[in-house]
Amino acid sequence: MKNNILFLLFILMLIGFSISVNAQDLLDKLEKEYPDNTEYEIATFKGTRISLGHSIENRRKGVLEVKAMNLFWNIPNRPSQSFVADKWTARIALEYGLSNRLTFGAGGTTLEGIFDGFLKYNLIRQVKKGKGSPFSVTLFQNASYRSNDGGIGLSDDFIDRTAFTSQVLIARKFTSQFSLQLSPTYIHRSSSFDEDPNNHFALGIGARYKVGGHISIVSEYYYLANPLKSIDTYDAFVLGVNWEMSDLMLQFQMTNARNMVEDAFITQTPNNFNLSDGNFVFGFNATYVLHFNQKKL
Amino acid sequence: MNRIIILLSLLINFTDSDNRSDQVITRQGQVSFFSYTSVENIEAKNNQVLSIIDFSRSEIAISMLMNAFVFKKSLMHEHFNESYIESDLYPKATFQGSIIDFDPLAEGIQTKMVKGTLTIRDIAKEVEIKTSIENIDGTYLITGDFEVVVKDFEIKIPPILAPNIAKNISIKFRFEYQPYEK
Repeated sequence: MKNNILFLLFILMLIGFSISVNAQDLLDKLEKEYPDNTEYEIATFKGTRISLGHSIENRRKGVLEVKAMNLFWNIPNRPSQSFVADKWTARIALEYGLSNRLTFGAGGTTLEGIFDGFLKYNLIRQVKKGKGSPFSVTLFQNASYRSNDGGIGLSDDFIDRTAFTSQVLIARKFTSQFSLQLSPTYIHRSSSFDEDPNNHFALGIGARYKVGGHISIVSEYYYLANPLKSIDTYDAFVLGVNWEMSDLMLQFQMTNARNMVEDAFITQTPNNFNLSDGNFVFGFNATYVLHFNQKKL
Repeated sequence: MNRIIILLSLLINFTDSDNRSDQVITRQGQVSFFSYTSVENIEAKNNQVLSIIDFSRSEIAISMLMNAFVFKKSLMHEHFNESYIESDLYPKATFQGSIIDFDPLAEGIQTKMVKGTLTIRDIAKEVEIKTSIENIDGTYLITGDFEVVVKDFEIKIPPILAPNIAKNISIKFRFEYQPYEK
């Protein structure tokens, strides 16, 4: 009799066990059904520029970015009555996603009358889940033309007024907040005074820290290994805030750079970063995104 | 003798419940959501939703990756994942619940309530959803729609963008189940 009761208990336990086994989450079962797809990291940086310099990001195919980049600064020791700031320069640009990985852009800058065009190709994407690269790599190549006189060793020759920047942008999104980018840079300037190099090597380092869903703090620094000798130049530094609101992105900057084209601000920033008049430059970029290639759902 | 019979029947029961295909699954379930405001209409669709039904207990589970939602505008996909859902931190949305008074053998369309827990961004909410279940020779089609309140899942929307995103998001789903095989 006692045995029977024990046995019944045992059976009850078994039944209980079997129910708990069956009741093991259906969700766990689904968990195993997920295909082993490689997942790529998105939004290492919010914009195609960290702040001033290019980030590894491209826009998707059929996306047009309309960009207005502005820099403002004062001229030192001048009894100035200028509105807001003594000097203002703007770069107006259009950048279009030819494919999901390739972007073409062109722009014009008011200071020195620089026209520039670039191609940017996303070579390697950082993998979030699965096998693959731990970082993203984007190749960047631009060409610029100075239409105004007064640059470093400029002549009237068209080729003399050009400069070319090549960059290998390498970035990793470490956490959902923090991303870091290294940008080895090669710049060729077609014309120079004799004592100046034509070819420059630089290393950019940039980072972003996301402080909220829509706001991140960014910083960039460009170390120039062989600067110009005919004039004193300093390495470009940027500290900024990026704020994105649906189709519009605003990037605010405190910097010492006075130009937005790579060869100009990396090799020819004439002042160091501090808060004095003439050295302190305030900037903002407004980028509006248009989608010409909307997906059908 | 009795014990042996009980044991045997138990064993049979066990093996039976293991092999019987009383579970159906879909790996290409569709979930779409809509946010209609006067400023902007936002629409997205996920075609890779997983769902499983266990008929023996009338239980249903749904799981999906948030980054599998496709938007008309590519930038919206990025913003959805990066700024709103934070799919880095909360990659999945899940539902687990039961179908009330469900008869898997009945042919044709039945309208039943599904009651359970919806989890988005690790925040669980009890929901009750009216669904239509159609049984066509052992394949089941479940469709329905419901609304979620954005606020319930602590999705942060900056005040300046509040007019662009509806307070209530309507969600539609369509799952076509096949017998589950291991």
